[in-house]
Amino acid sequence: MLTYIVRRIAIGAFTLLLITFLIYGLIRSMPGTPLTVDMAELDPSKQMTPERLEELAAAYGLDKPWPEAYLLWVGNVMKGDLGRSFSRKKPVAEMIGERIGPTLLLSVPSLMLTFFLSIPIGIYSAARNGKNDERVVSTGLYMLYSFPSFVAALFFQLYLAVEYEIFPLFGMVSDHYETLSTFEKVKDLAWHAFLPVTVYTYGSLAYYSRFVRANLQEVLRQDYIRTARSKGLGPIKVLWHHAFRNTLIPLVTLLGLTLPSLLSGSVIIEQIFTWPGMGRQFFLSILERDYPTVMGLTLMFAVLTLGAQLLADVLYAVVDPRIRLDSQS
Amino acid sequence: MSSDPNHNLEFTKLKKSPGFWKEAWGQFRQRKLAMTALLFVFILGLIAFFSPAIVGTKPVIAKYKGHIYFPAMGYFSPRWEAVFTKDKFRKRYPKALAEKDPESWAVWPLNFNDPTRRVEADEWPGRPENPQAGGPSPLNFFGTDTRGVDVFAQMVHGTRTALLVGFVSMGIAAALGITLGALAGFFGGWVDMVISRIIEVVMCIPTLVLILALIAVLESPNIWQMMAVIGITGWTGIARLTRAEFLKLKQMEYVAAAHVLGVPSLRIMYKYLLPNALAPVLVPITFGIAAAILIESGLSYLGFGAPPPNPSWGKLLRLGQSNYQNWWLILFPGLSIFVTVLAYNLIGEGLQEATDPRLREGGSRE
Repeated sequence: MLTYIVRRIAIGAFTLLLITFLIYGLIRSMPGTPLTVDMAELDPSKQMTPERLEELAAAYGLDKPWPEAYLLWVGNVMKGDLGRSFSRKKPVAEMIGERIGPTLLLSVPSLMLTFFLSIPIGIYSAARNGKNDERVVSTGLYMLYSFPSFVAALFFQLYLAVEYEIFPLFGMVSDHYETLSTFEKVKDLAWHAFLPVTVYTYGSLAYYSRFVRANLQEVLRQDYIRTARSKGLGPIKVLWHHAFRNTLIPLVTLLGLTLPSLLSGSVIIEQIFTWPGMGRQFFLSILERDYPTVMGLTLMFAVLTLGAQLLADVLYAVVDPRIRLDSQS
Repeated sequence: MSSDPNHNLEFTKLKKSPGFWKEAWGQFRQRKLAMTALLFVFILGLIAFFSPAIVGTKPVIAKYKGHIYFPAMGYFSPRWEAVFTKDKFRKRYPKALAEKDPESWAVWPLNFNDPTRRVEADEWPGRPENPQAGGPSPLNFFGTDTRGVDVFAQMVHGTRTALLVGFVSMGIAAALGITLGALAGFFGGWVDMVISRIIEVVMCIPTLVLILALIAVLESPNIWQMMAVIGITGWTGIARLTRAEFLKLKQMEYVAAAHVLGVPSLRIMYKYLLPNALAPVLVPITFGIAAAILIESGLSYLGFGAPPPNPSWGKLLRLGQSNYQNWWLILFPGLSIFVTVLAYNLIGEGLQEATDPRLREGGSRE
C-alpha cells in the first residue's frame, strides 16, 4: 500500500509540473499583460508611457521570456511563496484564503443535502422499481438532471428574485450587513445563499439518486439476494443490510472524486449570483491577466484533483478487501 | 450435397443472426422516449437547415433581371447575395426588388424578421418597425431584444449554432479520444504511460478555465475555432473509456488468433477491436453533445461566444440578465437549451440500454 502511494505521489508531482508549465505558457501567450489590460480600463489620458511600462514590466518580472519566468515561479512555490496578485496588490495565498469561505458556504451544504436526500430517494426508487410512483419520481429527477444549472439560476432570478422579490438577486450579504446582530447575520447569509445552493444541489441530487438506484438494482440481481429472500428475510432487511451495503463502494469512490469541486466552485453560477468565490475569482483573474493568481488557483485545483483521485483509489481498497493496490501496475 | 448450391445458400441464410447494430436499433426503436427525442433532434436539424426559409428578410427564391437567385442562402454564405450587393440592395430586398426590376418576383420566408438587425418601418410594405425590448406579439412571436432584433429569428438561426457546436466539437473530441484511447489500450507500455499522463493533465485543469484561456490566446476566434477548442478539451472521458475497452478486448482469444495469423496491428485495431469497442463509447459521445451545447451557451452567456453575426441561444440569455423585465429573453432560449439537452440525454440513455445487454428487458427484471 505504502509503495503504491509513494509511487502515485511521484507520478502526481510530475503531472503537476506538466500542468503548471502548460497553463503558464498558455496564459503568457494571451494578448496583453496585467499592465496593459489594467490601463485599458482607465481613461486614455492616463496612459503610461512606453518607458514607464518597460520599467514596471521589469519590476514585475514580465520582461523575461516565459520559460524563465516559469522556473522562477516554480522556485518560489517550492519555498512556499505563491507570489502577489497584480490587480489586487495582495499575496495570492491570502486572496485564495478569502475566497475559500464563500465557495465552501455554497458547496458544503449542497453536498450534504445531496447525500442526505439522494440515498433515500435512490433506495426508494430501486425498491419500487417499475411502479407508477417510482416512474413519476424518476422522470422528475431525469428532467432536473437535464435542466442546465445556469439556466435554472437565471429562471430563479427572474421569477423568485425579480418578479416576487422573495430572494435577493445577487451578492453574498445585504448592504447593511455590518449593522446586524450575529443571528441576523447568519440569517442574511442563508437568505443570500439559498438560491445558489438550490441551483448547485438539484442537478447532482438527480445524478446521485440515479447512481444509487442503478448500483442497487445491479446488486439486487445477485444470487445472494435471492438466497436472502428465499431464507424468508423481510424486504427492508434485504434492501438495507444485504444490498445497500454493497453499493457503498462505488458511492465512496464518487464522493472522493467530488472533493475538488467542493473548493473549485462554478465559474458561471458564481458569476450569475456575483458570489465572491473561487470560480468567479478564476474568471476575473483570467480577464485581468493576473498571472500569479491564475497560477495559484490552477495549482490548487490540480493538487486537489490528483489528491482526490488518489484518495478515491485508496478508499476503494480500504472498503473493498478484494482490491489490492500493490499488485496493480 | 455439392450438386445443389441453392440448398447450401438457404442453409447459410437461415443461420445468420441479426448483427449487433441491427439488434441495438431494434432495441432502441422500442423505447418511445428515446425515439421521440431522436425525432426532436431530427426536427431541430430541419429547422437549422431551413432556418433562412423560416424566418429572414431575404427572399428564398427570387427572379431578378431574368435570372433565378436564392438570396436567403446569404445567411450561410455571402456569395449567394453577390449580385444584390453589387446592385446596392443594402440587404433591404422587398422595395429594392420592385424598384430595380418591376418584372421580378420572389418567394419570401414564412416570417419577415432578421436575426442580426432591427427591421425598419415600411421595409416590408405596411409593416411597422420592430419595437425595442418589445414583448411577444404577432409581429415578433418571442418579442425583441433591446436593439429591436427579433428573438424568434435569433432562436431559429441559433439552432444552427447549437447543433453545429454539438456535432462538430464532439466529432473532434470523439476522433481524438478514440484514437488516443485505442493507441494507449492496444500498445500499452510507454505509449500508454505518455497518453495516460496527457489525459490526466487535461482532466486536472477545470474545463471552462482551459477553454477561456485558449479563447483568449486565439483572440476573437470564429465559430469553427470555438468548436475546435470545445472539442480538444472534451475528449478525456472518451479516451479513458476506449482505453479500458481495448485493454479488455485485446485479451480475447479471437484477437490472439488474429495475431497468430499475422494480421498487422493497425488492422487488428480497426477491424477487430474498434467495432466492438464502439458501442460503449457511443453513449458518452451522445452525452458529450449535450455538454458541448451547454458549454457553448455558457461561454456565450459569459460574453465569450461565437463572434457577432452568429446568433446563439446563450447570447440571448446574456442580454436577458442585464434586463430582467424582458423575461422573454430568458424564458424562450432557456427552455430551448433545456429541451435540447434533455433530448440528447434521452438518446444517450436509450443507446445505453439498447447496446448494453445487461440492461435489456428480461435482464433487468428479476
